[in-house]
Amino acid sequence: MPHAPDQDARVKGVNPPSADTFENQILSLVPSLRRYSRSLAKSDSDGEDLLQDCVEKVLVRRGQWRGVNLRAWAFTIMTNLYRDRHRRFTQHPSVEFNDTLGLMAEDVSGDPLQKTRLQNALNALSPDHRSVLMLVVIEGYGYQDVADMLAIPIGTVMSRLSRARRQMAAHLAENNIVTLRRPK
Amino acid sequence: MTDDHKPVTEADLHAYVDGFLDEERRRDVELWLSGHPEQEAEVRQWQAQAAELQTSFAGYAQASEGDRTLLNARTATTSSPSWWRRAALIAASLTLFVSGAAAGVYGDRLLNPSNPIETAAAIDSLPGQSKTAFLVYASEKRHPVEVGADQEDHLVAWLGKRLDYKLVAPDLKSLGFSLVGGRLLPVNGKAGAMLMYQDTAGQRLTVLLGKNPENAETSFRFESAGSLETFYWIDGSIGYAVTGEVSRAKLQQIAEECYRQFET
Repeated sequence: MPHAPDQDARVKGVNPPSADTFENQILSLVPSLRRYSRSLAKSDSDGEDLLQDCVEKVLVRRGQWRGVNLRAWAFTIMTNLYRDRHRRFTQHPSVEFNDTLGLMAEDVSGDPLQKTRLQNALNALSPDHRSVLMLVVIEGYGYQDVADMLAIPIGTVMSRLSRARRQMAAHLAENNIVTLRRPK
Repeated sequence: MTDDHKPVTEADLHAYVDGFLDEERRRDVELWLSGHPEQEAEVRQWQAQAAELQTSFAGYAQASEGDRTLLNARTATTSSPSWWRRAALIAASLTLFVSGAAAGVYGDRLLNPSNPIETAAAIDSLPGQSKTAFLVYASEKRHPVEVGADQEDHLVAWLGKRLDYKLVAPDLKSLGFSLVGGRLLPVNGKAGAMLMYQDTAGQRLTVLLGKNPENAETSFRFESAGSLETFYWIDGSIGYAVTGEVSRAKLQQIAEECYRQFET
């Protein structure tokens, strides 16, 4: 598997050289879109599906892009897709497990029990709360950026962020699990 | 905190956690937090949460060989891997039910022989299975174990063979518990082992060992249910869980002792 340099999403808004095709711009966004999709999804395979749907939609709608901040535009599209999918998947819940293609296998590092716990806490969030939390915490967007991307008032962003953080904290505490350092 | 500073709002606390404050405001908030322990505890929790989320997902921000094919996805509707995955997921959901709590976190492979459902279930259910084993057998008067401590060599050889693992029955005498014996029982749908110990007052505790479908190493964890405490961890191919009606502190000592002796 190639380890391309991390196209870190936090380095944002860099306008690509004009020679760059739309496709190449999208391609350079794929790593951060992949991270965002995975942070929203219940499993690696759901995440890859979401990513694929998003890229597809971005390509189909390229005519609607107003030429500024492609990244934010793509993130907005993914957020909306995620909300729609969530609605569908709640009606037809699927078994949750990870990618079959081995893409993510080596990233699943660290403590599996800890990961399950975190994932369960995330899955308990509503899509609206989860997407705001991820856009801020993982993707590094400012509150006003998120408000613009999701077309909601900044006050709503703040209240969703608060709610998401408190709900996560409560969920993690509820498990009544204390992680301890192993004696070696 | 001086009075001429702007009051600290909840929005400030979030901005503090997310690193959006300038240096001066950040110091104001820190000062304010030092006088508000409750809010400080919450903010520290948010920081830890953010750090954990960032670490968990950082690894996904990478390019993959197949990325370019994403751009052609819409031309290959029926053969797209996405379609296959969805079909496979639906098929799996029809035949097997996995509770939402048992989300698979191991890199399990749908197309691989190892059963992903078992892998997923193995993670969450270990403490649950340990509690059940304790509740069923620790209260048993006549047959708490299949093989008693008087045949310890036979017991560990037999159970070790079923687990395919060099089993030892930890010596917990220094902590006041001696071996009662053990039994074979299913753990994660495979042959597993339970060892039982007892102190001089007749207080019992159980140690459950089960095959772990994939090599992994976890930290120690506690789980409480009523007066029952369970301490569990995964080390390599074996998952362990110690359950008893004793204090956490005591159980932790016991589990650490087990861990030390199981390590070999």
